[in-house]
Amino acid sequence: MAVFTVNGQKVEPTGNQKLLRFLRDELHLTSVKDGCSEGACGACTVIIDGKTCKACVPDTDLLDGRTVITVEGLTEWEREVYTYAYGKAGAVQCGFCIPGMVMCTKALLDVNKEPTDDEIKYALRNNYCRCTGYVKIMDAVRLAAKVLKTGVIPDDLDPDWNIGHRVSRVDVEEKVLGTGKYPDDFYFDGMLYGVALRSKYPRARVLEIDTAAAKALPGVEAVLTAEDIPGENKIGHLKHDQYSLIPVGGLTHYLGDAIAVIAAKDRETAEKAKKLIKVKYEVLPHIRTIEEAAAEDAPKVFDEEENNICAHKHISRGNADEAIRNSKYVISHHFETPWTEHAFLEPECAVALYDEDGDIFVYSTDQSAHQTLHECSLLLGTDRVKVQNALVGGGFGGKEDMTVQHLAALLTYATKKPVKMKRTRAESLLVHPKRHPFYMDMTMGCDENGNIMGVKAKVASDTGAFASLGGPVLERACTHAAGPYHYENFEIEGTAYYTNNPPAGAFRGFGVTQTCFATETLLNMMADKVGITPWEIRYRNAIRPGETLPNGQIVDNSTGLVETLEAVKKKYDAALEEGKPVGIGCAMKNAGVGVGIPDTGRVKLVFEKDKKLHIYSGASCIGQGLGTVLTQMVVTNTDLKHEDIVYERSNTWFAPDSGTTSGSRQTLVTGEACRRACDKVMEDRNAGKTIDDLIGKIYYGEYLAKTDPLGANVPNPVSHVAYGYATQVCILDKKTGKIEEMVAAHDVGKAVNPLSCEGQIEGGVVMSIGFALREHYPIDENCKPIDKYGSLGLFRSHEIPKIDAIVVDKPGLNVACGAIGIGEITSIPTAPAIADAYFRWNGERQYSLPLTGTPYERKC
Amino acid sequence: MAVKKKFPYRAAVVACNGGCRSAEGEAGCADGCIGCKACIDKCKFGAISINEYGVAEVDEEKCIGCGACAKVCPQKVIHVHECANYIVVKCSNKKKGAEAKKQCDVSCIGCGICEKTCTAGAIKVKDSCAVIEESICLSCGMCAVKCPRHVIHDLHGILTEIR
Repeated sequence: MAVFTVNGQKVEPTGNQKLLRFLRDELHLTSVKDGCSEGACGACTVIIDGKTCKACVPDTDLLDGRTVITVEGLTEWEREVYTYAYGKAGAVQCGFCIPGMVMCTKALLDVNKEPTDDEIKYALRNNYCRCTGYVKIMDAVRLAAKVLKTGVIPDDLDPDWNIGHRVSRVDVEEKVLGTGKYPDDFYFDGMLYGVALRSKYPRARVLEIDTAAAKALPGVEAVLTAEDIPGENKIGHLKHDQYSLIPVGGLTHYLGDAIAVIAAKDRETAEKAKKLIKVKYEVLPHIRTIEEAAAEDAPKVFDEEENNICAHKHISRGNADEAIRNSKYVISHHFETPWTEHAFLEPECAVALYDEDGDIFVYSTDQSAHQTLHECSLLLGTDRVKVQNALVGGGFGGKEDMTVQHLAALLTYATKKPVKMKRTRAESLLVHPKRHPFYMDMTMGCDENGNIMGVKAKVASDTGAFASLGGPVLERACTHAAGPYHYENFEIEGTAYYTNNPPAGAFRGFGVTQTCFATETLLNMMADKVGITPWEIRYRNAIRPGETLPNGQIVDNSTGLVETLEAVKKKYDAALEEGKPVGIGCAMKNAGVGVGIPDTGRVKLVFEKDKKLHIYSGASCIGQGLGTVLTQMVVTNTDLKHEDIVYERSNTWFAPDSGTTSGSRQTLVTGEACRRACDKVMEDRNAGKTIDDLIGKIYYGEYLAKTDPLGANVPNPVSHVAYGYATQVCILDKKTGKIEEMVAAHDVGKAVNPLSCEGQIEGGVVMSIGFALREHYPIDENCKPIDKYGSLGLFRSHEIPKIDAIVVDKPGLNVACGAIGIGEITSIPTAPAIADAYFRWNGERQYSLPLTGTPYERKC
Repeated sequence: MAVKKKFPYRAAVVACNGGCRSAEGEAGCADGCIGCKACIDKCKFGAISINEYGVAEVDEEKCIGCGACAKVCPQKVIHVHECANYIVVKCSNKKKGAEAKKQCDVSCIGCGICEKTCTAGAIKVKDSCAVIEESICLSCGMCAVKCPRHVIHDLHGILTEIR
């Protein structure tokens, strides 16, 4: 048996196991995050004898005599330094990668007091971050080095928490020190572990399920199938089309469909039991592609549907055909974009238990606790469910659908015991909805000056095994395909097809990432035809305040596309001048759900006994920084200081439903609700009430972002309450073909926290550098995803170029203090800008992603 | 000799464990280091020595990654790599499983466990011997702890002993 030291304490594990399991399950050192257990993500990085090591790799028996340090083992001074540096730099978003990054920082700075930028990049490069694009984490390392050298923590954190200030986020300390809890960090006495048996075939009829042997295995407490579900079996984010557990007689839709769930005393026993379940299938032919799905005699993915069409949209305004016919220049092409995996650092996990009220209580990592509540209640046939958001380790759209919350709740319902259910990384890659692959045929017509006369397009998406958000994603892809330009003739037809592939759903950009690649690429080609620069053609067509978008909406004064174009111009022109390959792309993205769908923000502000104002809103912070945004909203709109304010994580029993964290909506929609609640607080304060007078009083703010439905019979429908605008530029090093710099200018109305905004931009840009250049999600003949987390092609810290994030403020929006959400748009214009730069580099125009022939391609 | 090194540091690595005592005769491995010392003679920095197993070993501290040793190596078992990639394959045996096993105690038998284990898809068995593509390796060392033949080494000495 090995004896070694962990954070200064001698330890002797009871049996040989992975170091990660020992640190988490026995020592409860939960700063050591389990992001993949396969050596890829780096979230479990610890320091062993001065060297960083991923704790999921070594067996404890290997470590005799070693010294292991986790974040919990930092000295008080180090804690202060790293908390300061990571907070000041704005390096913390979802936080799941951060303890691992802190370990890398310490290991570097312990031996190298003044690391160069390259040395910092290399020190972090075996750890993935999906939120920040690494930029601000590297800033944090530089800052920590400086502080450690001087021995003094500067007193320079912005004390002013009004909107517009670069304050350090509210949750920095708990995320840096690893004390904040994600669902996986909860441990309860007698807690069981849940696993799911998933379908062996992408499309098969389940004929028989025999669970007897699994149930008989010692340590197994429950093996549940569809017939054990007390409420509705079928759930779904919008359309209830997804079996929670495939019943006997039911059809499987993909390899991720669950057939049975098991709760056992530990994960190993549960896994063993899983293998003992015997399922008889009638294997049926499956659908792999859009073409197969659309074929006339195609097998149906759903028994309940007439064909494999999930959604069909047709949007037309003006007369695109005629406009294109009369255009001087016409370009037409076919485009394709691939599947993309969200690759959030924290795999899906939930812990369910009965609370003292006799309700089922779920700790959840999701994009809406109220949605989790709704679906768990539906499944269990009871409303005696409570949901508490734990920290959420990234979502990007991938945690909008139910993951394991409902299954954990079901197992608790059956066993009456606490149950933790966590997807393995392989399960996560297989099961949750991805970014839709799109086929796009688009035609653009322009006059001799490059003014867009009309655009016509036909697009198709593979929405996989269930609807998820396939319909809305298709709709957004279609409505935004026109681009942020002032022309009147636009027609698009889109179809989303079911297949037996993993499902596709929400993913940062929500369909617009895909169609923007086609529109912007055509515009770049058009600029060449007209003989003007791609910047100039955009400047000429750019939508300006008071003008009408192709969807008919008259845009307001906050419309700042032109300002973003002007913001990049200097660098764009300089690069052209120097003969560097340079590419450009623009985008618009709605903030708020829009198109007539009820979209309500709700906030309660309560003075509690600690004499502080607590913010409650049923809105998930998934790493974007909602808590900080709302705190800054309160500081700006009341007379309170940030020390007097506490942001509470979303729950379902007190925090009012404020909708899903989706559609870049929380800053604007929940932000405005918060502002309205603040007005009520100030009525009392202005009447001379002290905080003591107000203890226990609840201030409720609500905001309905009212919009018109698509095709509304009004001349200028308001499709969305606000749009963000952006221009991104990609400059290449002519010699190496590597990206020298990405310039990303974003109009955000009013930046609540410019530091956070930059972090969003950098993270979004790096995510889409991956989308443009390398990320893939191949699926084999049997509809099985091939990749592991480490081979998705995500960008690493040493590979990212310089990113110039430019935040453009432009007043004009009269809600939420003028703030427009920035979550998604950061990832939208990146790919076409990069694709155009590579065209300028090697003369080869590419119409599908990821691009080939670049220096970033994987070497094997 | 103190030479200023440029980051990212590079150094030579000898892809041989020396388990066959290669110099001893024909039963041994034909692909590994033969302990001829050509590299040692060539190295201006005194970075290479013959270790207790009779094969060349590089001291990364002294090596500057010039690659002169790799050029003179008659067995072609030396290559230059980035030191930041501290998980390395220390074998060049091209023989198939059983034969490779017979030739050396610590030879790669091309079983492919490393390939199946690797999350990054960075390691591939080529000609019955594992090869790591360093540009995509995440240096986790999962292959090193899973390798049944102790062919894959952690040069940090945490996951595998430095030998």
